Amino acid sequence: MSMSDELAPMQDKVTWPRAICTRHCELACAVALGAIALFFIIYASNFAWGSVALPGPGFFPLLLGIALLFCSLWIGAETWRTAATGDCHELGHRDVLIVMGALFLVAPAFERLGAYLTLGLFAFVLLVLVARKNVFVAAASSAVGMAAVWYFFQILLGLQLPKGLLLG
Amino acid sequence: MSSFELLVNGFGTALSWKGLLYCFIGCLWGTVVGVLPGLGPLAGMTLLLPLTFGLDPTTGIIMLTGIFYGAMYGGSTTSILVRIPGEAASVVTCIDGHEMAKQGRAGPALMIAAVGSFIGGTVSILGLIFIAPPLAKLMIQIGPSVEVVLILFALVVIALVSAGSRIKTASMISLGLLLGTVGMDKLTGFPRFTFGSLGLSDGLSFAALAIGLFGISEILLNLEKTQTIKAIVPKFRDLIPRGKDLREAFPAIGRGSLIGCIFGIIPGVSHIVSTFVSYAVEKKLSRHPEEFGKGAIAGVAGPETANNAVTGTAMIPLLALGIPSIPATAILLSALTIHGVQPGPLLLTDNPQVFWGLIASMYIGNVILLILNLPMVGLFVNLLRIPYVWLVPAILVISVVGVYSVDFNAFDIWVMAFAGFVGYFLRKFGFEMAPLLLALVLGDRLEENFRLALTMSNGNYATFVDNASLIVLFGSIGLLLSVQGIAWAFGYRKAFADQAEGA
Repeated sequence: MSMSDELAPMQDKVTWPRAICTRHCELACAVALGAIALFFIIYASNFAWGSVALPGPGFFPLLLGIALLFCSLWIGAETWRTAATGDCHELGHRDVLIVMGALFLVAPAFERLGAYLTLGLFAFVLLVLVARKNVFVAAASSAVGMAAVWYFFQILLGLQLPKGLLLG
Repeated sequence: MSSFELLVNGFGTALSWKGLLYCFIGCLWGTVVGVLPGLGPLAGMTLLLPLTFGLDPTTGIIMLTGIFYGAMYGGSTTSILVRIPGEAASVVTCIDGHEMAKQGRAGPALMIAAVGSFIGGTVSILGLIFIAPPLAKLMIQIGPSVEVVLILFALVVIALVSAGSRIKTASMISLGLLLGTVGMDKLTGFPRFTFGSLGLSDGLSFAALAIGLFGISEILLNLEKTQTIKAIVPKFRDLIPRGKDLREAFPAIGRGSLIGCIFGIIPGVSHIVSTFVSYAVEKKLSRHPEEFGKGAIAGVAGPETANNAVTGTAMIPLLALGIPSIPATAILLSALTIHGVQPGPLLLTDNPQVFWGLIASMYIGNVILLILNLPMVGLFVNLLRIPYVWLVPAILVISVVGVYSVDFNAFDIWVMAFAGFVGYFLRKFGFEMAPLLLALVLGDRLEENFRLALTMSNGNYATFVDNASLIVLFGSIGLLLSVQGIAWAFGYRKAFADQAEGA
């Protein structure tokens, strides 16, 4: 077996970021917008609509939900009718995934761990994984950064950020 | 008190040490975000929005407005020296500005851009002084029906002037209006889409959505790019333009001022569109149109003046009507509301110090920017050497703290992260965020006034067409549609798009 044969299965493996056809992306967007519209329509149907002359709290969301559904159908139909051009969007960029993942972890940890610990860890992770800095440099930078955040927001502006379980 | 006396009082506020300091901070930060690709005025303003909470409304708004027009100045620097537009309104400047830099004429290009920006900004402030107060007086008598039509007018115009697909813009407007319905219904107190969460009872946080949709999504999009910066930095003595340059630039500056002032009032993406219109006009009127694209100074002077001339007149709909016409003024609206100041016709009577203090600070800010930008151009260009990945953690940490400190609610961090995630995908697939944000700001007022007008008229829809001011508004809509039709017929839209792509 030649070397190239051995490498062939490796080349078939999924590589990130992945190139996704623009047409498929737009169709996915249309479906997502349609789903949001349907959610609002179904939910708004439980509210009091009032009448056309005197609308209630459900009237506007229902009307706007229908408008969004119409737009999503239009976008979907327009994309469906368009021939594939071969244009692609790259999705799943490593750094983007790391930043998004880290940001979604900040939200639940912010009050539990405390602002400074959460943000310090967040900055550390980004410096190591995205900026590709040495662990010691990243740790020192995060610590200095948190001291700056504390001084600026807490001392200068008087903002009380949550101290969390560890420091509280 | 006469307008002149109020303006003098405004200068008193703006020239106080606090006014000057925060105006300077705003201008400096604005220039920095304008210079750094991927951090436009919107991200710059939303990031510093929480810092204004500890300030009085006038000082806070002075700082935020400084960021807005400071970014317009800063954007031109990178367009000329590096061919990277710091923000969208500087795209056109890349075409001739960088060509001039390559020919060793970066200095005159920067000087003309700065002088044009100064003149454009100053003319537009005069427009604001003369138009906003009488308009506010007129609007003080309007009822909810007129406000409904005004908001509809703004939304229609946003849909018309947006650069992307109309249907995508319409979907973003619908989505923005829908998101605006989340929270307690103002007329009945009925909770809508809150799922029993107290965090949602006041609606989705505007600051969280704005930072997410603009700031976070911008960072994510920029992480995908790798740029090598090769700047051409001129020496201070090379800034002086030749006589020929001045003769060609000054008429372009005059026309750019006029175009920018007119476009500033139009809702949507006026600061971007005005630069393309100005460039097209200059090329059309030039005796040497073949020089455009090869380093024509009028191609720098006109668009740069136009994008700064927008800043003053864009404040007219916000300050006189309470309706933001561009996303930057939507953030100002949010800031004013947080400070308990309601922009609109009553602003001039209830909070004249905010209105006149802001106007005076804009004059001063333009002078600060002129002084700041020319001698320190080398310093600002050096900012581009800071690796972007170093800036990302800093910007994100400030964003998280900023969003949290608006309501001290960790739920808003979720909203920001989710908005950033959604905004990233939507922008990647050609959806614009500006219509969504403007619709979000205007949504609850549209609904409230619509239902109020119908309640007051016992459900009679004729209330929306029985007023002289409504006829004027409908006439304006017709006029704008005609202008749009003419521009379309002459193929300007395609030409602008081609030029933007070329840049």
